Amino acid sequence: MENYLAALSLLILFSAFVLMANKRIKSYIATIRVQSIFIAIAVGIEGAKSLKTTGHFDILLVCVLIIAFKVIYIPRLLHRTYGKVEYRVAKDFFLNIPILILICCLLVVFSYFTLSTVEGINTGESNVQMVNSISIVLIGMFFMISRKKAIGQIVGFLVIENGLFVTALFSTKGMPLIIDIGIFIDLITAVMIMGIISFKINEKFDSIDTNKLKNLRG
Amino acid sequence: MKNIIYYLVQLASIILLSPLVNGIIKKLKAFTQKRKGAPILQMYYDLYKLFRKNSVVSEVTSWIFKVTPYIFVSTSIIAGFLVPITTLVKPNSFPGDFIMLISILALGRFFMVLAGLDAGSTFGGMGSSREVMISVLIEPAIFVSFFTLGLYAKSTSIYNIMLEAKKIGIPLLHPMFIMIFLAMLIIIISETSRIPVDDPSTHLELTMVHEAMLLEYSGRHLALMELGAAIKQLIYITLIVNIFLPTDQLIGNFGIASIFISILIYAIKVIAVSTLIAIGEVSTVKLSLFSIPNLAALSFILSFLGFLQFFVLGR
Repeated sequence: MENYLAALSLLILFSAFVLMANKRIKSYIATIRVQSIFIAIAVGIEGAKSLKTTGHFDILLVCVLIIAFKVIYIPRLLHRTYGKVEYRVAKDFFLNIPILILICCLLVVFSYFTLSTVEGINTGESNVQMVNSISIVLIGMFFMISRKKAIGQIVGFLVIENGLFVTALFSTKGMPLIIDIGIFIDLITAVMIMGIISFKINEKFDSIDTNKLKNLRG
Repeated sequence: MKNIIYYLVQLASIILLSPLVNGIIKKLKAFTQKRKGAPILQMYYDLYKLFRKNSVVSEVTSWIFKVTPYIFVSTSIIAGFLVPITTLVKPNSFPGDFIMLISILALGRFFMVLAGLDAGSTFGGMGSSREVMISVLIEPAIFVSFFTLGLYAKSTSIYNIMLEAKKIGIPLLHPMFIMIFLAMLIIIISETSRIPVDDPSTHLELTMVHEAMLLEYSGRHLALMELGAAIKQLIYITLIVNIFLPTDQLIGNFGIASIFISILIYAIKVIAVSTLIAIGEVSTVKLSLFSIPNLAALSFILSFLGFLQFFVLGR
């Protein structure tokens, strides 16, 4: 069972890498959906375990919430935002993709070496999962600063959130339900506001390229 | 005696099975395009026809052009000896390891690239330069994934790696092996010139890589080159099948019969993997040449993540 979770945490990490290698906004959204599906599977496994040992089904409820919000609702919201803004095919990133991927690789190595010195989490399986999930947070941050378009930055924010969620899941074996619900409501509000703001940016500046925010308007 | 059985099994099954893989992939592709397609055994007929023909050699070429088909097919066959198709037959002394395998295949590729340049046609040179670029890009991933497997098995011999994989049971649930498996899938696509990297069925000069190098060949030489490429493809499929989907632990070891059962199961697994490749080929489009580094970087990352997992899990 632990092996499945380690493999799943690796697959979630790898989907962050795939996101980094993507070029188009539509494929960002598809990849974030796949990553959320993997997270839902991991939460489902944890939930089944806790149902078997303690009889609580609240983690399974979190799994349902993830499928409802992260797999279905938020990607659809992003698609709608993307459909509304005027979009020109242009290069979306500052460096070329192999260099971006190698930098992400260095981030993973960095978190391996950092976490190996931390006392307490340094044993076996949980260490692997911790390392992978903290690397997802770092990659999400790097994704945010490597893309120019506003929707790419929303996706980066979602990756950071996914990474934090996975870190919490693998280190605590499932958080209390009320905290998870709070995080979800926060997340949805944030994504909605970001969508509206990127729509407004597009209206004012004729592009969702955040670099153009520096241009002066009369 | 054991050595003789081993070499006979390897030689017979690798040469006889390898054109079949191409036939299956082509048939499946034809089905998805609502065509009837050529028969599965078409490549055997083609090879038979080509072997009976003389080859036309341009008079501006040097000896490299004439020698290359023989070198290419013999390096492929020798590489086939290094990858056991069943772990039940163990030779007394095992010849070579995966470093040897990669370098032998690289030797064949080196001569093929030279022959592409030799005739002096534009497309040959273009194909050669592209082939070299792709192979350079994908090589780090091959080495890192093989070394990870080697570190896990504490041996560089492919036979020992397969034995170690047998002990895990289902390696695809092991986090390290699943990463290496995905990396190997990308490697197999780019090494055997399948669709996201290169289109094997096209003769449109601007997109072809592998075919462009064979453009000057005809007759017997062409047959040898195509056989060599098919054998190389089967070698990579064998690696995937026997390391990541081992089934030999399910069969007991009872002499000749168990070897036959093992080879039969191996053939079924090869067909399954070629189905996977065919599905991948019909569901994607060919990447532009400058997007191939992205794919290679992804496959390197996959093997590197597997390597990092080894340091935490494997020891």
